[in-house]
Amino acid sequence: MEDAIRVEGLTKRFGSFTAVDDVSFCVKSGEIFGILGPNGAGKTTTLEIIEGLQRPNQGQVSVLGLDVLRQPAQIKARIGVQLQSSAYYDYLSLREILVLLGSFYPKRLAPDPLLKQVGLLDQATQRVKHLSGGQKQRFTVAASLINDPELVILDEPTTGLDPQARRNLWDLIREIHQRGVTVVLTTHYMEEAEALCQRLAIMDRGRLVAVDTPQNLINRLETTYTVKLVVPAPLTEDQIISLNGGVSSIQTVERNTYLLRLHQAPEALDTVLQTIVGSKIRLDHLEIGPVTLEDVFLELTGNELRD
Amino acid sequence: MLPLTLANLKMMARNRSTTFWALFFPLLLVVVFGLFEFDGFGSASLTVVDEAKTPNSQLLIQSLSELEFLRLQNAGGGESAARAALEKGDLDYLLLIPAGFGEAPSPDPGSTSAGVGLLVNANNVEQNQLVEAAVRHLVAESLSKEGPGDGAESVPPSVSPASLSIESVAVTQVRYFDVVLLGLVGLGIMSNSIISIAVKISTYRSQSILKRMLVTPLPIWKYFAAEIISYLMLAVIQAAIILAVGVFAFGAHVPGNLLWLLVLVILGSIVFLNIGFILSAWANTPSAASGMGNAISLPMMFFAGTFFSTASLPWVLPYLAEALPLTPMLSAMRAVSIDSASLWEVWPQLAVLTGWVVVTGLAAIKFFRFS
Ligand SMILES: Nc1ncnc2c1ncn2[C@@H]1O[C@H](COP(=O)(O)OP(=O)(O)OP(=O)(O)O)[C@@H](O)[C@H]1O
Ligand SMILES: [Mg+2]
Repeated sequence: MEDAIRVEGLTKRFGSFTAVDDVSFCVKSGEIFGILGPNGAGKTTTLEIIEGLQRPNQGQVSVLGLDVLRQPAQIKARIGVQLQSSAYYDYLSLREILVLLGSFYPKRLAPDPLLKQVGLLDQATQRVKHLSGGQKQRFTVAASLINDPELVILDEPTTGLDPQARRNLWDLIREIHQRGVTVVLTTHYMEEAEALCQRLAIMDRGRLVAVDTPQNLINRLETTYTVKLVVPAPLTEDQIISLNGGVSSIQTVERNTYLLRLHQAPEALDTVLQTIVGSKIRLDHLEIGPVTLEDVFLELTGNELRD
Repeated sequence: MLPLTLANLKMMARNRSTTFWALFFPLLLVVVFGLFEFDGFGSASLTVVDEAKTPNSQLLIQSLSELEFLRLQNAGGGESAARAALEKGDLDYLLLIPAGFGEAPSPDPGSTSAGVGLLVNANNVEQNQLVEAAVRHLVAESLSKEGPGDGAESVPPSVSPASLSIESVAVTQVRYFDVVLLGLVGLGIMSNSIISIAVKISTYRSQSILKRMLVTPLPIWKYFAAEIISYLMLAVIQAAIILAVGVFAFGAHVPGNLLWLLVLVILGSIVFLNIGFILSAWANTPSAASGMGNAISLPMMFFAGTFFSTASLPWVLPYLAEALPLTPMLSAMRAVSIDSASLWEVWPQLAVLTGWVVVTGLAAIKFFRFS
């Protein structure tokens, strides 16, 4: 099957600042592909080049087999886009906005079934400003589906939503995917990427750090357990050395917060816990957990992923 | 494009506050200028041609000169010159006192004393009623007072209707209100076109609505065409309402060809929409766009001669005023609608206006940005 998106050597500079730095990846037809990264990683810039909103400085991008620079209109007719921060007309109802947007496309869906699918049929005659945050996001997803696209690109569809609304949106995205639509989305949230995406690109400071399935990314790591320590006062050098003497790597995440990554559980776990007890480290909080994409990100980039 | 134009019009209709303010200010000024009667009583002028030179006529002239709202003007060139002045609108009233005024009528019951003639400017309807009543009263009064020697009872203290004849003269004189009304039409179109498009586009940009349009296959020229068409329709409606209020509520005279006026309204409106697009590119926020729009349209309102002539401005200012887009628009609009000129008679203004359309159009294309 042909790739839905093919990005090769993509670079985008703003003045002397490189927002996207030699990025290459492919999105396969029919998958949910996630781009994960912290603020300023270059996710939106990458998507906007794919959508034809920005021109790259270097590199080739093709969407549905078409070149973004040479056939932007054909691409636009076949993809659906949700922008990171796009409002809609204040003085039109939801239904009217969908009708208007649909009129720009050669092929379009009827607005009401679409509103029904995102659970907004009752609000069809309301204005966007009267919707809740979750409803608004569902509406922008519906708007991106108005032309019955083969590929939808969603830029941070769940940012700012409460857990319930986020889960609703995940269901909606899975539904869209089940109808055979390729989905590309960006997110700050590891658990979202894990729950939703079949493959994942991790970006940091304009660079692509890794592309793989979430499970492969986790399996790639040597770490098998993480131990998080929160202590009342900073650890002394000796204490850090004694902890480091085991099989763990140690990282200061915040003041008084340390993250230990254990490579060979469960023996390493045992060693660490005994060291803590033996060196009389006082604890405010101790957390032992499995490895998550959070740790993948941390290990790959050396930075913690934050909202 | 049609769906977008219709949607734009729908949004304008729903965005009542904007549409309301687009009309409120110009209409308020129409009311102000309509009510205050700047052509009004204080300046009403009267020339008396006295062929009688009797005590009665002297008495009449004396009492007319005491009226506060009439200014007596010397009949320099006699009756014919005074008539000409009246027809040109330089004179408001002409009173003709015939020879034999106030002398006893002949015993024949059918005859009356020679009638006084009052010629009035047909345009000043309300003022005329007042002046006619006053003159009628004073003529009667002056006739009731015979010469000093005669007994007061010999003539009845009323005047027969025939002794004052009124002639209404159609005058193609330009009233200040008519001039200002056309100025207000131009002003309304200018400020609405500049400010509302600048605010709207910068709002759309700050909310990424423009970007949202760009990810659809809609060719971008269609987007602008729809915006411009819907605003042109608003401008035409706005002009029609302001003119209608001026004409029907305040008796303005707009005898010219409305089709030519429509052409000028559309041409001027395109210039101002282009300026609005340029400002929306320079302004980073909607409120900055609104401020810039006001900063441009308020000075232009004065310098383009909306309310008063700019010929007396010092230095090079009158020439600068000529170069503003509103100036040729207003002068052509006035020529076409008040003086009933045809479109080709105002070709210099049309040329300047077309130049503005081209220049602002190119600048709008050059400066416009989507994000
Ligand atoms: N038009 C622009 N001019 C200058 N710098 C820009 C421009 N657009 C983006 N940048 C910079 O490029 C970098 C990447 O921005 P981008 O919006 O792609 O990040 P992102 O990964 O989408 O971040 P977020 O998660 O906050 O949305 C940022 O540092 C941003 O400041
Ligand atoms: Mg972004």
